[in-house]
Amino acid sequence: MVHLVLQRLAATVPVLLLVTAGVFALLHLTPGDPIDAMMAESADATAKASLRAELGLDRPLPVQYAAWMGRVLRGDLGRSIRNGEPVVENVGRRIRPSLQLALLAMAISLLIAVPVGIVSAARRNTSVDRVGTTFALFGICMPNFLLALLLIFLFGVTLRWLPISGYVDPAEELVDGLRSLALPAVTLGLALAAVVTRTLRSSMLEALTEDYVRTARAKGLSEWRVVRGHVLRNALIPVVTVLGLQLGTLIGGAVITEYVFALPGVGRLVVDAVFARDYPLVQGVVLLIALGFIASNLLVDLLYGLIDPRIRHR
Amino acid sequence: MRVSRRKFLKTSAVAAGVPWLGLSPGAAAAADPPKKGGTLRVGFYIEAATMDPHLSGSKIDRQVYHNIYEPLVTLDTKLGIKPGLAESWSQPDPKTLVFKLRRGVKFHDGTDFNAEAAKFNFERMKTEPKSVRKGEVANIDTVEVVDSHTLKVNLKKPDAALLATLTDRAGMMVSPKVVQERGVELGRNAKGAGTGPFEFVEWVRDSHLVIKRHDGYWNKQGGPYLDRVRYRPIPDDVVKLHSLQSGEIDVMDYVQPRDVAAVKADKNVVVVDVPSLADFAYQLNTTRPPFNVKALRQAVAYALDVEQIVKGVWLNVGVAANGPIPPTSWAYDKSIAPIKRDLARAKAKLAEGGQPNGFTFTLTTNNIPINIQEAEVMQAQLAEAGITAKVKLVDSATLISDGNARNFEMVSFQWSGRPDPDGNTYQFLRTTPGTSFNWSGVSNPQMDALLDRTREISNQAERRKLYGELTKLLQDELPMIFIVHPIEPKAFSPKVQGYEPIPDGMMRFKDVWMR
Repeated sequence: MVHLVLQRLAATVPVLLLVTAGVFALLHLTPGDPIDAMMAESADATAKASLRAELGLDRPLPVQYAAWMGRVLRGDLGRSIRNGEPVVENVGRRIRPSLQLALLAMAISLLIAVPVGIVSAARRNTSVDRVGTTFALFGICMPNFLLALLLIFLFGVTLRWLPISGYVDPAEELVDGLRSLALPAVTLGLALAAVVTRTLRSSMLEALTEDYVRTARAKGLSEWRVVRGHVLRNALIPVVTVLGLQLGTLIGGAVITEYVFALPGVGRLVVDAVFARDYPLVQGVVLLIALGFIASNLLVDLLYGLIDPRIRHR
Repeated sequence: MRVSRRKFLKTSAVAAGVPWLGLSPGAAAAADPPKKGGTLRVGFYIEAATMDPHLSGSKIDRQVYHNIYEPLVTLDTKLGIKPGLAESWSQPDPKTLVFKLRRGVKFHDGTDFNAEAAKFNFERMKTEPKSVRKGEVANIDTVEVVDSHTLKVNLKKPDAALLATLTDRAGMMVSPKVVQERGVELGRNAKGAGTGPFEFVEWVRDSHLVIKRHDGYWNKQGGPYLDRVRYRPIPDDVVKLHSLQSGEIDVMDYVQPRDVAAVKADKNVVVVDVPSLADFAYQLNTTRPPFNVKALRQAVAYALDVEQIVKGVWLNVGVAANGPIPPTSWAYDKSIAPIKRDLARAKAKLAEGGQPNGFTFTLTTNNIPINIQEAEVMQAQLAEAGITAKVKLVDSATLISDGNARNFEMVSFQWSGRPDPDGNTYQFLRTTPGTSFNWSGVSNPQMDALLDRTREISNQAERRKLYGELTKLLQDELPMIFIVHPIEPKAFSPKVQGYEPIPDGMMRFKDVWMR
């Protein structure tokens, strides 16, 4: 297993080089310039030129990339052009809400998806199954922003049970924190639950046709024990894969949900940085998100071994 | 809501003339005496960028600054200049300004505000490498301390617009002690830095920014009344509006035109229409085909129905523009009408420009809903004259770089406006070498002469006449086509009292209180 981890870590080097060089090139080839974006209301060409020189933006692109890479290797991701703060501080502040939101959304999705998926598969083609699959289809089709607005309208404006927007850190104030994350987590969790329900249902249906299931039934096991002991465990692999990929997406890509609920997460940080052409910030965040994806994929691979001894790594 | 152009002008006139009685939120209870206390929660569309006014390039920063910092001079509701940190000023000759500074004013850190401090600020704006104010103070040659409370400003050339410029960031005074001791972190922490009615408390990035009442404030008339003001970024308009309606915030900075009618019908929300200094326009690239031909620029202008755009796209939350100067300004000439649609004339101009069967051009605009709608309406109007507009949607950073590089044929240009008409005209229209906001590339000796002249004379009536001439010249030359001067409605909880709308759109909370 140590070998696998080391192997994976070695493979991340070319991936990270490709990702950072790609992002750097795309960003600099996109029209627009951070100084113009920052000083949008100033036509003062001299002031802009001196600021550009101050930030090293007047140097050739390969030089800028090499300088950036050099600093990254020394552990310095640079400073945001827009607010002048270190990139690491910017991300550090934003990663907490994003992680909390992702984990909460994931918990909500599992609470819904596991029972619904199991019942749907076990009682396939009954009305129970139809309700389950309809729910899943609804969750997948419903756009995030619409669901978010409906939830806000119902729980925030009409019933006034939950705050509409903003973020309180649950680590500091547990109740208020969870209340501030409730609506966004449900928004993301429902969509994810739909995906997980469908994946679980179809992989369970596949497992239910296996010979060992027939054998288990022939032994006289109750249907519940068949499902729990023989079907579910074998059906979990695709579910773990889906969750692993979604964790990365939830952390870096919950932009719309973060935007609507005014949550200060990583997704919004990177989108705002792109609009401001805040080069060091975008590059730094993308680098960290790429690292996050690599880590969560590694975690998924290790989990496979726990679920299925046959693919346990030596 | 339906505001006709006439009604808007009247509203602006009220904003401009008569002291605005019961001005505002909760006018019915205007008789109540103001009371101290309470926290005002304000929702903004975006977070502030920096607390250092000399390094600030973002409009939202100014909303906070106008409560913690004070400029040498300030604006009244009709955009006149009134005393701020300077009690009075005089102009012994066109190239000299002498300010008598207010005595007994202290920064929040306890140090004195005086002529030395003011000189320090001007020098910082001129020399600090990252200063964004350099352009605004470029005309200032030297600053002299005459005595402890008299400051002499020597100009490189006469500049009638300078006083108005000093009503905002370029005139705001920061404690020299704070700059010297914690200059680097001033951007994030403005503790002790200002002289204003409120002092900075804390800014938790991405969450909130809090200021509190400054009890030692020099001006004992009226407020400050509020204990605290808490600013929060809420980027989504719909959510921000819901937050106001459900009582999570008390003030929101801007109501979208599409929401105005619904919000005005809500009894739990008070809407104040704040006429702005802005102009939303299009620049036409006069340095290359097709718009290097004047007749073709005119053909486009005559094919457009500006009134219809203001009605259909802006839902009358704004007024059709006759040029760059908004109706709120003393320089606005109401005898000049916006260009009227005239298809026959448009077709004649097409023939005159050598394109009798029409032509095709690219219209570059921001990829945001109201701009897209506007572009679509314009496309349809132009099609009726046989002109084909291809719409190119870009984000704002791309739009600015395309504009600076003159890489466009017609591009949307939204200017937030400046209190002096110079700020809405000179930098867009004067012949300038190199990069400037003169994206259209217009270079017209008559226009240049008019623009130079408006800077040299300080008599308002004479300047007004010159700006009238300029507006007429623009309607013929058409380096830019002006569409609308938007209204910027702000919405309040009925608890909020005493807000005075100034057309620069900044929310000054000194005299605001909560019922």
